[in-house]
Amino acid sequence: MKYIGFIFVFLLTLALGYFGSIPLGPAPPIVPLLDPNHGFWQQTKSEDDFAEEEITLENLTSPVKVTYDENLIPHVFAKNEEDLYRIQGYVTAQHRLWQMEFQTMAAAGRISEIVGPIALDLDRMTRRKGLGYGAELGINFLQEKDPETLRFLEAYADGVNQYIDQLSDARLPVEYKILNYKPEHWTAYKSLLLLKYMSDMLVGDKDLEFSNLRKILGEELLNKLYPDFPIDNDPIIEADHVWDFQPIPISKPDSLNYPNDELVIEPLPQPEEGTGSNNWAVSGSKTKSGNPILANDPHLSLNLPSLWYSMQLSTPEYSVKGATLPGALGVISGFNENVAWGVTNATKDARDWYKITFQDNSRSTYKYGDEWRKTEFRVEEIKVKGEETFLDTVVYTHYGPVVYDRTFRGERQDANFALKWTVHEGSNEQRTFLMLNRSKNHNDYNAALDNFTAPAQNFAFASKSGDVAMRVQGKFALKWPEQGKFFMDGADPRMEWQQYIPNDQNPSTLNPERGFVSSANQHPVAQSYPYYVFDNSYEHYRNRRLNNRLREMNNITVEDMQALQFDDYYLHAAEALPVMLGLLGEPSELSDIAAKFLEEVKGWDLYADPNQKGPTIFYLWWNETYNQIWKDLSNLEVPVVRPNNYQTTLLMKTEPESSVFDLKSTSVTENASDHVKKGFEEMVEKLEKWTEDEGDYSWANYKRTTIQHLVPQFKSFSVANVYTGGGRGMLNATSERHGASWRMVVELGEEIKAYGVYPGGQSGNPGSKYYSNFIPLWANGKYLDFALRKEDQDLPVLFNTTFNPVK
Amino acid sequence: MKFFGILVVTILVVVFVNPFLPYWAVMVILFVIAALLKPGNSAAFWGGGFGMALSWIGLSLYLTINSGSDLPDRMAQIIGAPSGTVLMAVTGVIGFFLGGFSSLSGNLFRNLIKRRPTNIYRG
Repeated sequence: MKYIGFIFVFLLTLALGYFGSIPLGPAPPIVPLLDPNHGFWQQTKSEDDFAEEEITLENLTSPVKVTYDENLIPHVFAKNEEDLYRIQGYVTAQHRLWQMEFQTMAAAGRISEIVGPIALDLDRMTRRKGLGYGAELGINFLQEKDPETLRFLEAYADGVNQYIDQLSDARLPVEYKILNYKPEHWTAYKSLLLLKYMSDMLVGDKDLEFSNLRKILGEELLNKLYPDFPIDNDPIIEADHVWDFQPIPISKPDSLNYPNDELVIEPLPQPEEGTGSNNWAVSGSKTKSGNPILANDPHLSLNLPSLWYSMQLSTPEYSVKGATLPGALGVISGFNENVAWGVTNATKDARDWYKITFQDNSRSTYKYGDEWRKTEFRVEEIKVKGEETFLDTVVYTHYGPVVYDRTFRGERQDANFALKWTVHEGSNEQRTFLMLNRSKNHNDYNAALDNFTAPAQNFAFASKSGDVAMRVQGKFALKWPEQGKFFMDGADPRMEWQQYIPNDQNPSTLNPERGFVSSANQHPVAQSYPYYVFDNSYEHYRNRRLNNRLREMNNITVEDMQALQFDDYYLHAAEALPVMLGLLGEPSELSDIAAKFLEEVKGWDLYADPNQKGPTIFYLWWNETYNQIWKDLSNLEVPVVRPNNYQTTLLMKTEPESSVFDLKSTSVTENASDHVKKGFEEMVEKLEKWTEDEGDYSWANYKRTTIQHLVPQFKSFSVANVYTGGGRGMLNATSERHGASWRMVVELGEEIKAYGVYPGGQSGNPGSKYYSNFIPLWANGKYLDFALRKEDQDLPVLFNTTFNPVK
Repeated sequence: MKFFGILVVTILVVVFVNPFLPYWAVMVILFVIAALLKPGNSAAFWGGGFGMALSWIGLSLYLTINSGSDLPDRMAQIIGAPSGTVLMAVTGVIGFFLGGFSSLSGNLFRNLIKRRPTNIYRG
């Protein structure tokens, strides 16, 4: 009896211990998660609770002091750059380890390893686009041409790894605990992968959609609905800029044949609308103090942990401060004692597609001119949690990887399209930032930018010595008109990119007469620029609002620039609403609620403040009208893009009776006015329903800005319904899921004044008080003081840590 | 009395050893302690159970109050529990079963190898 009793209880005990330690279904092992000594309860602590005064680190050459200010922003004081980057790695990993690793797992197409087969398609896509391939080429490039940068990347990786190696179960970030995996070692390769991932986030193309539109609409209507340049073009480089170089001659080859397939493949995931940014610099002639002021606010998807991590990095030679990307070296958008710089995305159709004609089913050779060229096969091994490893063979041509083929999203057996993208070329973006961090003047800035390939960026610049400058930098193919706008034939060598625009012929300007430089993702140049420029996603509103304001402003202060970053004047509404009200006329027999909506939108001051009702009414009315107008296009079975808001508004205003407004699918002939009226009815119906379900329809309430955790399913780690204004096409571009991911204003006087804020916090731990503490400031247009610190300055400090070399 | 003895010893073990060792190591230690002290089945079970439950609840309560963090509530939402307080109770219940059954097994094990006096006169 005793034996049976013992065996029964003992087995029960073993079972409790065992089943508590293994994952049950999708749930993580429950006991390690709940054990308050090692599980998630430990993440209730904030970083200052386990501050260490001294940490001994291997491979350091001299002691490094790190001062955390009251917002947990680290200020690193190192004697040399190698120590500096080693500590940057260690400190960043302390606060953002899970995020850095997760982002590179995504970039490497390895999410299936963590979450299982649901991510397999995503991972295949990522790998077939060749991000990992690009990063491998990047490492080769560094090994051959830039051992210094590689050494710094390895120092950074070593810093991260020394943190990982001493990491206790208790301190393991909570996401690892929930998803039940452990961090791997960091490598230089992963840092490059992260930069490729940024490219992927920022670069899109609409080649597929335009190929379809060209076939459906014909050239003439295509150019009317989708002109390459808008009438009100207010480009990045001032329109009257004189190009002082001899352009390389290029002309469109005669009698080209574009592939004329029915393209029903699913397009690549695109950067979402609203991904964009502002930057500008005003010269001393326009400021109250006489010092240049630079401002930057990159708009990206709003996530937690925040994409950015603030830091000051100091050596005896320089001190740089601003926003870093966890996983990459140095400061990405920031300033030092002499200069400040900021970045916005400079999209310019950097991705092109070539139709590949294989000789036979083995796909080992493809047609190029009169010859058959050899392909290469790259086998992607995708580990899948809980399942067998998935092997995906990707065919590489000299253009790039064949993304779509019979095994992946190709509806037709012979659909083979290769992707040509600058990301697949060895390049050295990391060096640009290392050099910018130590820049002293405009020449240094230009030298730094020469290393930058992709994703193309508009680099705004200002220096203490009084210069303001802007340069659109990337590796841009020298294209003949319309090259790359549509899918091209990979068998015709004339379709191929022949050469690149030399760096010194990329659009740039220094101290223009107007006293400022600016960019907001609009067309980079006026039509006078000698090379072909095309992209579907150029901005038409933020740029004009920004330039109009900068032109009329004088005696500018830092506060003025902060206010301009937060400006929520709805220029699209200002232009479209009068047209829509005109086309609506004086409707009779309006219901009470419809009359109320109309009254409210008429009385609105055109600013999209959070408490306003006007923006909600306009936004809905516009969307319904727009959907009505382009109904025929939306109903097509193939992917297309619809004309942009600007062009649509222009057509409604200038030719409301045009045949473009007639829907072929109906028996009557519509004009713009019909669509506006129909749109108004739909808006009333939808908004009435919305009000019944959700209540107050003021803008912030309707828009529901959400800052989402990188794992969207972890809803409670997100911050939802942030009360803030702005929206797409406004300088404060805060929409539902996108907006200013970092705001910075720097005045370059004798002493640098700097202010910054981002929608998140320094800590990546959802339990920490530093996880989301900047969000209320950010939502109200407030800033943190970002002034440079000296090593022994008497300022508020959260704690200090000294890193000592091993004796 | 034996109950309180095991209770106190269990609390001491969880508070001072658990921070450095995983929960299963604590289970092994509680097993050994019960086997050595042979407190009796009931005292082992309740003492070990409440000892571990109280120390786990105590620590999670301390961490939550001391930090003011709302992480327990956020975690509860992700796991599908009603609230952080419920999560704390679940932590306690799991601690109770782990501690209680470890101690009980230890005590039962000791009963197995305990030599039974066969001749009371020879001792």
